[in-house]
Parts: sequence; C-alpha cells; structure tokens
Amino acid sequence: MDFAHEALVDDVPLTKRDMYYKDVPLFKAQGTVDRLVDDLAVTLDLERADLKIRAASKGLLSGTGLTIHLLGGETIYINDLEGTLIPTGETIERFVLVGNISWILVVEKEAVFQTLCRFQFASHPSLPGPGLIITGKGYPDVATRQLVKTLSDNLPTHIPIVALVDGDAYGLDILSVYKYGSRSLRHQNDKLAARRIEWLGIWISEIADLEIDLDALIPITLHDEKKALAVLSRSTDFLPRRWRHVKELTRMLHTRRKAEIEILSSSPGKRFTSLIHYLSHKMCHFIEMSA
Amino acid sequence: MSLAFVNALECKEPHNDEIWSVAWTANNTAVSTSADGTVKQWDSTSGQASMSRPPHNLAIVSLSVSPNGQYALYNGLDGTTYLWDLENDTVVGRHESYDRSVVKDAEPSYSVSLNPKGATYAGTSNSGNVNIYSASPDSFGTRQVVLPSGRNRHGMHCAHSPDGTRVALSNEAGQVFIFDLESQALTSTYSSHAMCIRSLAWSYDGQLLLTASDDKRLILHDVRSTPSGKPGSGAVATLTGHSSWVLSTSISPDGRLAVSGSADKTIKVWDLSARAAVSTLQESGEVWSVSWSPKPAAPGSAGAFISGGQDGHVRWWRSAGAGA
Repeated sequence: MDFAHEALVDDVPLTKRDMYYKDVPLFKAQGTVDRLVDDLAVTLDLERADLKIRAASKGLLSGTGLTIHLLGGETIYINDLEGTLIPTGETIERFVLVGNISWILVVEKEAVFQTLCRFQFASHPSLPGPGLIITGKGYPDVATRQLVKTLSDNLPTHIPIVALVDGDAYGLDILSVYKYGSRSLRHQNDKLAARRIEWLGIWISEIADLEIDLDALIPITLHDEKKALAVLSRSTDFLPRRWRHVKELTRMLHTRRKAEIEILSSSPGKRFTSLIHYLSHKMCHFIEMSA
Repeated sequence: MSLAFVNALECKEPHNDEIWSVAWTANNTAVSTSADGTVKQWDSTSGQASMSRPPHNLAIVSLSVSPNGQYALYNGLDGTTYLWDLENDTVVGRHESYDRSVVKDAEPSYSVSLNPKGATYAGTSNSGNVNIYSASPDSFGTRQVVLPSGRNRHGMHCAHSPDGTRVALSNEAGQVFIFDLESQALTSTYSSHAMCIRSLAWSYDGQLLLTASDDKRLILHDVRSTPSGKPGSGAVATLTGHSSWVLSTSISPDGRLAVSGSADKTIKVWDLSARAAVSTLQESGEVWSVSWSPKPAAPGSAGAFISGGQDGHVRWWRSAGAGA
C-alpha cells in the first residue's frame, strides 16, 4: 500500500511488475502482488488505474488501419509486417481509424501472430478489405482486453471480431476471457468484456472437411480431459449452453483428440499457406454473415 | 463373394445431434443414444420412436442392453450412469460414478456394460481399471470389485461375454484385457493394435472377440478358455479395407458375419471365415455404432443390423437376398 501511496503522491505510475521487484522477499511471488492490488482496488471501490498502478502490456497489434494517440502527445503507428506493443488503456487519449477496416482477428498464440505478420495477412488481397490482428500471447492482459473491448464497442456491427484459438479447453478459456472477462476481475467485468467476439476456429468438427487426416489430431492429455469436463459442467451457469464450445469440447472428449492451430500448417506440401487459406476462407464467411 | 444389404427403414424423427451408440434388442426394438444427451427406443417395424428419456445435460457415451431387452444401461460423458426399465419406461437406477463423497477413490465411468446375468454392470475408467457395480435398483452403483488392467490408460470400451463369466476391456493404447469375473483375475492380454480400440464385440459363443481400431483395421481374436487354463491364441485374422478409424463392430448370432462402422463414412459387412468384406454401404457421416439383430437370420438371408452416426438417424439394414 505504501508503494501505491508513493505512486499517487509523486504522480509516477507504477506497474505491478515494478512493485514486485521492489521487495521480492516480502511478496515472494508476482501473484501475491497481483492479488493484493486487486483486493485493494475492490476495498477502496476504485479501479486499479486510480491507484496509479498500471498494468504492464504484453499484447501485440498489427495492421494498417489504426493510429493510437497517447495522452502525452505521442502517436503510435502500426504496420502489417510486425507487431506493435499495445499501450495500456490509461495512456490512450484516442484511437483513429484510417481506411476501411473490415475485420478484427484475435489470435491466441504469438507464433501464429508472427506467421501472419510475415505474410502481411492484415492487408491480404484475398480478403475484401484490410483488418487488424491482435494477440494477447496466451491469456490476455488488461491492456489487450481493453483494446478489444474498445473496438467491440465502437466498430459498426458489420465488422466481425473473431478469435483463432486452439480447439481445446484452454483455447476456449482464453476466448471466454475476451468475451466475458476473467473471474478474478469480475468487479470490472462490464468494462472489459467484449461480448461481440466470436470463435472463428479452429474447430475439431471441421477437420474432416478441411481434408486433414484425423490421425493428425493430437491425443488429449488427462489435463485436457479434466479441464474440458470442468468447462462443460460449468457451462450451464457461466456460459450459454447452445454455444459452439459445448459441441466442440464434447467431440474432443469423445474422439480423445484435439485440434491445435498448428495442424493447419502441418498439411503436407502446403505448410503455412494452408493457414492463410483457412483464415481467408473463414474470415470471408464471417464478413458475409455480419453484413 | 458379395452380399447385398439394403436400407430397409430409417427412423422417423432423427436425434438433433450425432448418435454414438445403438443396440438392437431381443424385443425387436432399437435403442439409440446421442451426443445431445437424449436416449430413444424405436419400433423396428415402423421406425417410430416409442419411448424417450429427457436429455441428460451432457452427451451419452455408452449403451448396453440386457439380453431380454428389458433394460438399457447408459452413461453420460461425466460418468452419470442410468438404468432404464424399457418395459415400464422408468429409470430404476442412477449413479454419479465420479462422486467421491462416499467412495474415496471413485472413478468416473466411460464405457459401461450390463452383465447378461443381470446383477452387476462394468464400467471403464481413465486409469485402466474395470469397476464392477451393483445393477440392482436398491443398491444401484455400489462398487463391488475393482479389476486393474495394470496399464494406466483410458479404457475405451468394455463388454461382457454372452455367458456373463468374463468381461473384456480395450484401451486407448490398443490393448485388450480379459478378466474372469468369478476369480476376479486378469486372464489374458492382447496387444494386437498399436492405436486406440474404440469398440469390441464378442461372438455369441464367447469364442471370438473382434476389435475395431483407429489403425483402420479390425482384428479377430480367438479367446477360448482352454481346460489347461491357457488363454486363447489371440489374433487369428485381420480385416482391412476401411480408410479411416473403425469406430464400432458387431457379430451376427450365427458367427458367420460381422459388421463395422467407420469414420470413413461407410459400413462394411465381413465374412469371418473368408476374412474379407462382402458388402460396403455408403453413409452420409461417420458411423459411430452398429448392432446386429439378436434374432438368427431366416434361412437364405444374411440377416439384419442397425447403424447410427453423425447425421443422427437410426437406420435398419436387411440382407437383400440369399447369401453365398
């Protein structure tokens, strides 16, 4: 609490990571700092940002259609060849949309994000218009979710916002964090839940139609099984029952196999181009459906 | 040699989701279970649903019917096992096999099998054990015996021998284990496949066991118990022809033919002495379950079986004429 007070008094923002390093023996683990900060915020009925403790960002953004103006006067320009670090919400003054953004794609894995950048997928000619690609590098942090939420709230509904995650319980959990918010930040949920986001893929049920051999699917582990069953049992109270995830997780448990995004790149003779082909095809479908 | 089978009948109202298990009962009805948690009984003459259960909240993954057709045992993805009295249309048993509040090391069941003698049923688990439970309505689900296979791999399928003295288990690694229920001992292990065995079927005389695997093959095993106590010789024939995972199999009452359903969207009928496919039937989706009619075929006919799969339809198939 002293650190937070200091930050407020000196008007120097602090990240949770900074706080942890100020007294590692006291805090022992980053998680301790994270929980204390959240508890403090709830107790004082404030946002974490009001305590002048900023979330450090790790998410990346790629594309050509967005410019970010920061409060200090700085402008962040993004490009479609490499990722730009997503700034934290508190530092952003405004977004400016440039051109005709047609789609937003959120990807679970950084490796997939980098592959898409190499192919300049954000400006790919196979799509009706340019788009934005975002990755939270796994479970997204607050800054990434704030960006997705802002886009979700402000973009017209004919622009689809979709997620590419592994067809397993972990991928779906990540999607649910974007869509419904994380359980630990429940009191801030209305600010961060981007309900509009949909699951583009990868679905285990579409593997056969993609002419990928069923044997390319990876056997599930005990962890996969337990997590999937937990999600399915929870799904009646937390997530809507009829959602696609119920069907996909059920099929995963029944076939004892799961679909990871890498399965697309592994098609023989096609390598990364099949990932591009898959994404173009599905994104066009989502754009048509949203029109 | 080839045999012709025709799609004689289709169920009048399909399930809304995939069918994963079917069984043809001695009362000439069919029972089917679905990924949407529903279970239905069908009249085999009209194809009408005669009875159905309100859906379980999760998919049904296993089904086993009693020899007299009175009871259907079925199990949900979470391990909730039900016993349905088909004569009176009531559920007479319900057990949450994952519940550890009473039995500390309780394991959720996956595949279940009613003992033909009636008093018990078997359930496979994640750890490779076969658990034997009471099937009696007043003590339904009480665990009586744990039979370890010795291999800590998910148990895909279990089935009792027709005389109720043995139970066979297949696992994700491609192994088959046969337990003698009286001595509660593991009597045979076969490692004929290297990939998941999703289904196995006993011949009516209990001498043969047919396994269906992700390796696209079915393997016929001689599993006769010999007087000396040595297990049967094991794999005696391999049936090849499917181009994807074999999902299900069933043997005809006279032991001459077998039927298989596959992820390659076909059904194949096999002549077990010729060890070759005699019929291939095209389906619209993955065929998750097949079940031969328990009534011996009429003279000159090769018999009949039912199938269920991805499109949610139960189909009755009959032999088109005299077999070779």
